[in-house]
Amino acid sequence: MQDVLEIREVSKTFRAKSGDVTAVDGVTFRANKGEVTVILGASGSGKTTLLYLIGSLENPDGGEIEVFGEDICKPEADLIQYRRKRVGFVFQFFNLITALTALENVTLPMDLADASSLEQHERAVELLGRMGIDERLRKTKANKMSGGEKQRVAIARALANDPDIILADEPTGNLDTATGRIVVDILVGLARKDGKCVIIVTHDESILDAADWAYRMEDGKLEGIEIGEERNL
Amino acid sequence: MRSVKRGFRSFRRHPLRNLVVILLLFVCLAFSLSMLAVKLAADSQVEEVKQSVGNYAEIRVSSDYRMALFEEERSQDPSERAAQARTMTEEEQLEQRTRFLVPEELADAFSQETEIITYDKVLETQITLSDITNTELETVISLRERGPQGEGPAALSSNMFSFEGNTNGASASDFMLGSKVLVEGSFYTYQDYLDAAPVVLIEKTLAEDNELAVGDTITATISGESGRDAEVELTVLGIYETVETEQQAEGTNMETFNPMGDTFYAPLSVVQTLNGTPGYVGLGSYYFDSVDSTDALQQAFDANIADGDTYELATDYSDFETIADPLLKVGKTSMIGLAGALGACALIILLAMAIIIGGRTRELGVLKAIGATDRQVMAQYAVEVVCICLVAIILAMGITALISQSMGDWLLSGNQVAATDTSQQGIVAGGQGAPGQFMAGPMGGNSLYKEGGRFSVASSQEQSTSLDVVYQGNLFLYGVLILLGISLLGMAVPLVWITRLRPARVLSME
Repeated sequence: MQDVLEIREVSKTFRAKSGDVTAVDGVTFRANKGEVTVILGASGSGKTTLLYLIGSLENPDGGEIEVFGEDICKPEADLIQYRRKRVGFVFQFFNLITALTALENVTLPMDLADASSLEQHERAVELLGRMGIDERLRKTKANKMSGGEKQRVAIARALANDPDIILADEPTGNLDTATGRIVVDILVGLARKDGKCVIIVTHDESILDAADWAYRMEDGKLEGIEIGEERNL
Repeated sequence: MRSVKRGFRSFRRHPLRNLVVILLLFVCLAFSLSMLAVKLAADSQVEEVKQSVGNYAEIRVSSDYRMALFEEERSQDPSERAAQARTMTEEEQLEQRTRFLVPEELADAFSQETEIITYDKVLETQITLSDITNTELETVISLRERGPQGEGPAALSSNMFSFEGNTNGASASDFMLGSKVLVEGSFYTYQDYLDAAPVVLIEKTLAEDNELAVGDTITATISGESGRDAEVELTVLGIYETVETEQQAEGTNMETFNPMGDTFYAPLSVVQTLNGTPGYVGLGSYYFDSVDSTDALQQAFDANIADGDTYELATDYSDFETIADPLLKVGKTSMIGLAGALGACALIILLAMAIIIGGRTRELGVLKAIGATDRQVMAQYAVEVVCICLVAIILAMGITALISQSMGDWLLSGNQVAATDTSQQGIVAGGQGAPGQFMAGPMGGNSLYKEGGRFSVASSQEQSTSLDVVYQGNLFLYGVLILLGISLLGMAVPLVWITRLRPARVLSME
């Protein structure tokens, strides 16, 4: 397996009135193409911050984050292109633009990346089809959809520019168990069939079943979890 | 371009929210543009007034100096005065004749001021023409002699005629203002003035009564002299007709009523000779560039011409004030209204955008997280702001065309009432018009140069009663500027918000 992501000694500290809070404390790990990496942790453990560091939505205070061998923490790194082409986000609260339809939400990242209208439409229809969103739902505004539908649209949006890394922050946190399972299966499918590097942060231990690699995060520190002999630790 | 499309689509997606903002902006913009239209119209009309009123001045012997001379004469015993007159030298006699006149060189010197555009010199006097008779005046005199008052005034004679001299017949105010029209022959020219050509313009009725035609000659006698040497042959160069104005026809304006038609117009140098006062004029009359130069000219006059209080510079500034003051007040009021309404527009757009952007913080975070640049997001929101402002300003411009005239009339009526009140108070308090009126004292309330002329009070009031709020092209340009202004202001909110926004913060929020 090819290493897509390598994180070395990454730290992030936030300044608060009550004092400095170290959300991520010297974290090191790798994630590979075609594999699902699950990071377990309680609320406030720093797992979402770690995800945002990987997605370049936050800047680390120290350490290196290499994607395909390039350090995205360097000042010369083109983070806009990185966000457009390398990573796709799936959020707990979906973060769809409610005034837009499912189709428009999916075409938006492609539009920002200057894809042609035809290309945008064809790819969005294809992705939504893969996520089980039919034609009627494609034209439905995001605020009229169920949680599961929204999350499937959010995954389609994350895949719009065909990124290498899918970063999912509590993707099942706002869904019932059955719907959550479907979403997890989709994410696993993206790793297995499409060769994506999928990183899921969650507090839901049942997702560990889907993981190739699993870590537990506590007070900003990351520890590996043994998840079975057949899979790597 | 894509950001523009996204912004436009986003604008269409929030019709209700946009409608509220547009309505609020529309009200303030309609008021702003109406005030602007009124301001532009008032300013434009003030400029028009400036071109015709307030730029006329005369140099003449001051009323104070005249009064002082009258007082001095009155204090003298008549016999003493007669004895003094008999022993006068020629120089003293000339001084006596010219005491109410202005030296021509002073009038010429003042004309060198850079603000002066055109000038003329005028001398009016009474001249005896022994070989013609004013038949209408003769009738008046005979009626007076038969009447209960007995004898007519000693100075009144049917051979006495008014002579008005200036440097160019066509520019005599009566002809310029149209109260008299040349019907035969031609005007004397500036060259005639320089050459002292003995020519005159005569009134038509008088010419007919005395069987005079263009080319005929009449004999005038130089004032204070006698014998053949005192006679001057004058050739009739032109015949004019007096135009009966509406007011004259109704008999309401006695000041301009002149049934005798006894005025002859001749080159100034000829009238000076006939009057025995060469080198002196009754007044110098000047048109200067603008009413704004009044102060500068007054200072120049005081410094170089005034000779103590002997001469005065009279201007029609008070006429300008009468006409322009309500317009200036309307301009000021509309400016205040404009500033207030634009302030309200600014406040509305800032608050509206703060609310709109505040409510879409998560959307901003998402856009940034999926790879939108600050510029792309800014452009999208800028288009939304511009669309809102554009719709509001188009509607406002439409309604402005309908209401601005009413606004102008309303403001003008308010200011005219105020101006009338102030004017009346001034009359009661000082007897010479509104307080603070420039040159009100020296003018003594008299009209300038020619009574019933272009600066008469009636025409002033007529001009000041209306304000034509024309929907000018520059209003459209100002509308575009206002649109740009409020749009830029509206964009400031998303600009600050977007550049400071950290997507990681907003995306984690429930």
